[in-house]
Amino acid sequence: MSGAPIEVLRRVPLFADLNEDELTQVASVFKERRFSDGETVIQQGSGAAAFFVIVSGEATVFVDGKERRRLNEGDYFGEMALIDAGTRTATVVASSELLCSGVVFWDFRPVVEQNGAVGWKLLQSLIAIYRSEREAQAGSSQEPD
Amino acid sequence: MSGVVALLDAEDTSLFGSKAVGLGQALRDGLPVPPGVALAGPVVDAVAGSDAQAIEQVLESVRPLTGPLAVRSSAVDEDGAEASFAGQHLTLLNVTGEAGLTSAIGEIWWSANSDSAITYRQRVGLFTRPSVGVVVQALVDPETAGVMFTQNPITGADELVIEASWGLGEAVVAGRVIPDHYRVERTGEVLERTPGRKDVAFRSLADGGTREEQIAPERVEMLCLQDEQLAELCALADRCQQVYGPARDIEWAIADGTLYLLQCRAVTRAGL
Repeated sequence: MSGAPIEVLRRVPLFADLNEDELTQVASVFKERRFSDGETVIQQGSGAAAFFVIVSGEATVFVDGKERRRLNEGDYFGEMALIDAGTRTATVVASSELLCSGVVFWDFRPVVEQNGAVGWKLLQSLIAIYRSEREAQAGSSQEPD
Repeated sequence: MSGVVALLDAEDTSLFGSKAVGLGQALRDGLPVPPGVALAGPVVDAVAGSDAQAIEQVLESVRPLTGPLAVRSSAVDEDGAEASFAGQHLTLLNVTGEAGLTSAIGEIWWSANSDSAITYRQRVGLFTRPSVGVVVQALVDPETAGVMFTQNPITGADELVIEASWGLGEAVVAGRVIPDHYRVERTGEVLERTPGRKDVAFRSLADGGTREEQIAPERVEMLCLQDEQLAELCALADRCQQVYGPARDIEWAIADGTLYLLQCRAVTRAGL
């Protein structure tokens, strides 16, 4: 089979509303990538090229050196790279042998351009990140000195 | 045209990349290049995407190559005069088995599509999708290996600069040792030979990959090239310049007493 496992992509909220054909189309542009335990998958501050979905294994997310959360099968990261190939906002390190499916932005862009449902879900996902960060900032500014 | 050809038949840089075509041209010109196969960008893309037909095509093509393999990237816009991609793309040595080869090709695809590679491409003004070809060659297991510049890359002087160390050339290319340093006139006269400090050597492992081997103390600062070998390298540099033009950056290895050309590209002074 080529591309990403469809059953894994189906669990990714970004692709949750896609039908079988759309999901197959998305899956076809993904490529497998393996990381060793302890290997840095993406580095905060670095330029960004790819979006990854975890097929098996675990990873840990760090922001400014602080652990934020754990990622497992079906979790995904790096979606902002699919839009602007900008700078990574977090570091992700493999906490076990890690098998990911990844897609780079120039392979994903034609999929989004041809499939409005994927574009819409991507937009919703990014807005959710934006709101979450804005709320976090508002919360920290209201904390007493 | 097929996307999988014998290295000897790799002629189109837009398909196979400059490294593959350079090595193919070397074979056509009778230079001592280890035998191999060139994979075009779309084939590499398909293998990295786990396309069964592409994988079978590649495995079939490499069956005549015996023993462990060297798998090298040959990106289409790699090694150009404007931007050196040295270090951005991957070379995997001592690759064994069908799964090992498929995995190595996938790793090379990702090396050209990694965050650092993309950042570098953007910095040098390349915003196009990278197309990465691959060269698969029989691996030589050298006693001595290194790099050679046919023009001094620092001063621009018309002389050979050779850096050499024990074992695989990875030790020199990756900066893991202080290599022996030689400067040689085009006439063959040796202008300088400075022993390095070569306390480790990279050796092939039987089941794939490489290992670091500690060098015996008496060999750490022993020169690893003799006059006869320097003369052979001098002849190789002349022939490479006849074939490719001036100012070449050459990777070479000596295995079982035979000198091999591993890579030949234009010197990029910006990175030095």
